[in-house]
Amino acid sequence: MKERILVIAEHHKGHIVPTTYEAITFALELNSLARAKVLVMILGKSVNGMANMLAETTGLDVLGLEGDHLEFYNAEQYKHAIEHAIGNINPLYICMTHTAMGLDLAPGLAVRLNASCITAVEGIKPNGGKLSFVRSMYGGKIQAEIIPELKKSIITLLPGAWKARERYPDKKGSVQIKDVHRGVSISRTFSVKESEEESLNLDDADVIVAAGRGIGTEENLHLVKDLAKIFNKSAIGASKAVCDLGWLGYKYQIGMTGRTVSPRLYIACGISGSSQHISGMKDSQTVVSINLDPNAAIFNVSNYCIVEDVTTFIPVLLEEYKNFVEA
Amino acid sequence: MRILVCVKQVIDGQAPVVIDETGAWVKHGNISPFRMNRYDEFALEEALRIKEKFNDVTIDTISFGPPRVSSTIRKAMEMGANEGIHILTDEDSFVTPFEVASAIASYAKTNTYEIILAGAMSEDDMNSQVGQLIAELLHRPCATLVMHQEIREGGKELYVEREIEAGRRECLYLTLPAVLTIQSGINTPRYPSLSNALRARKAQILTIEAKDLNIPEKRERLTGLSYPEVSSKGTFIEGTQKEKAKKLLGILHEKSLI
Ligand SMILES: Cc1cc2nc3c(=O)[nH]c(=O)nc-3n(C[C@H](O)[C@H](O)[C@H](O)COP(=O)(O)OP(=O)(O)OC[C@H]3O[C@@H](n4cnc5c(N)ncnc54)[C@H](O)[C@@H]3O)c2cc1C
Repeated sequence: MKERILVIAEHHKGHIVPTTYEAITFALELNSLARAKVLVMILGKSVNGMANMLAETTGLDVLGLEGDHLEFYNAEQYKHAIEHAIGNINPLYICMTHTAMGLDLAPGLAVRLNASCITAVEGIKPNGGKLSFVRSMYGGKIQAEIIPELKKSIITLLPGAWKARERYPDKKGSVQIKDVHRGVSISRTFSVKESEEESLNLDDADVIVAAGRGIGTEENLHLVKDLAKIFNKSAIGASKAVCDLGWLGYKYQIGMTGRTVSPRLYIACGISGSSQHISGMKDSQTVVSINLDPNAAIFNVSNYCIVEDVTTFIPVLLEEYKNFVEA
Repeated sequence: MRILVCVKQVIDGQAPVVIDETGAWVKHGNISPFRMNRYDEFALEEALRIKEKFNDVTIDTISFGPPRVSSTIRKAMEMGANEGIHILTDEDSFVTPFEVASAIASYAKTNTYEIILAGAMSEDDMNSQVGQLIAELLHRPCATLVMHQEIREGGKELYVEREIEAGRRECLYLTLPAVLTIQSGINTPRYPSLSNALRARKAQILTIEAKDLNIPEKRERLTGLSYPEVSSKGTFIEGTQKEKAKKLLGILHEKSLI
């Protein structure tokens, strides 16, 4: 049995999703610790082009699995295809990103392959000859180190926790394409719909003031809007919680399942800083956060942290701004 | 049709979380504000909506955990679940999603549930695993992050939309029986009605000892807990509200943002 570290690539409309390269970085880090070759697996209806491109840019061996039934990601079909394609490979680790695909696929695949499963991993630590994997709990207030107990492990990686490499070996990896048969059809994915929300032009905004559940009520939204008005080229945004509550439309949502933004200034008002929110705003140049809870995870990614009640602090800030302009 | 909804009790997100003296787990005081995991409220509401749309639907709700979680099971019954099942563990300790899923699957396998619903994630452990694990253990199809569901073909098939990146949705059909994990925002969870609240107060909860369920060994081991390092780049602005406001405006001015 060939021991391998497997990476499951993710793609959309014929392009590799950028976080796949983060998973590759992670796999290469594991490779230096666990001494098994990295193999990238890509599944789809027609993956030859993407497989060759991956092998060329990363220098890694790529295994493509093709079938008409793999046109869209589907957990049942992916589990079936991966299980059968593994054949005489012994995957010590199977790595993928903690995206809507990765989190959907990993746990069931782990049961099927008799593997440990650790999700939303952000770090690795050597631990007495073994490796422990670091992940957040309690909205980012606690970090846990977890060791897999079984011989195989499936790991999903928090987007953004590893950076894509800038340089790879100069040689091209091997490419192998296999046809795979359809598994049982108790689940069938037939399309992907684009978001129905009209899009907001947040890309032009220099400053985004974002509201979280901590603003307390829908009526308090005006505070966030008023704060945005003091900046040129500003816009408002929101956490998913605010959109779920119906206080703002989903087009305002920032994060993993919403928009990704990178303004010069991001002001988070009453946002706890869940990893899914952070993944949409972490590339902002400057982050200011206002939160009542001194341990809120948003402070871990902020340049300026203000422990205050947003509903009383923003009015004071606006008042001081008036004085500032007059002065 | 029978539906099972998995609910978890979590500590409220704003409450402090403290690692215990041994470092083995987090400490929950008696005064800790516990409540139902929000994603599970959405899952339960979705079940209640199915029940309102079709005849002959019963909803059972199940929770795994120490004695305190019975209040969350009762809350689910106040919202409208018919029966409550409590898989009782001794105390608060680190449990893996595989153990919880194995316990729930072993209960569910002897009962004929057409649909099993769970939240997309628990707010405390944040694994997003239990629903998918239950599905695999019971050999059922599963869709996660569900934002829309419709029962079709006279109850044989489920049309589902799952929310993926950038607000896109994957559309799929699942053959029933199936498992769904529900994403927040799919609906607006209701408040308990008075009649349900009265009924729930008197209702019996079926209690099953976790140790009687043959739960397998842990597949992942917890070796350490810590508080995250506060980012080196972060500065806490101190002072009265007024002073903080002034300092912040000064910083923003320096950066030519105002
Ligand atoms: C697959 C998946 C995808 C997701 N995608 C996204 C996404 O794209 N975007 C996103 O945002 N979320 C997303 N989420 C949800 C995410 O996990 C969190 O639930 C959400 O971001 C929480 O929003 P919040 O911070 O506003 O609310 P909470 O987590 O409830 O935080 C509220 C915060 O406000 C503070 N607060 C309360 N009162 C005050 C006050 N008076 N003054 C100041 N502070 C106060 C509290 O201390 C707390 O920190 C996703 C979840 C999943 C499972």
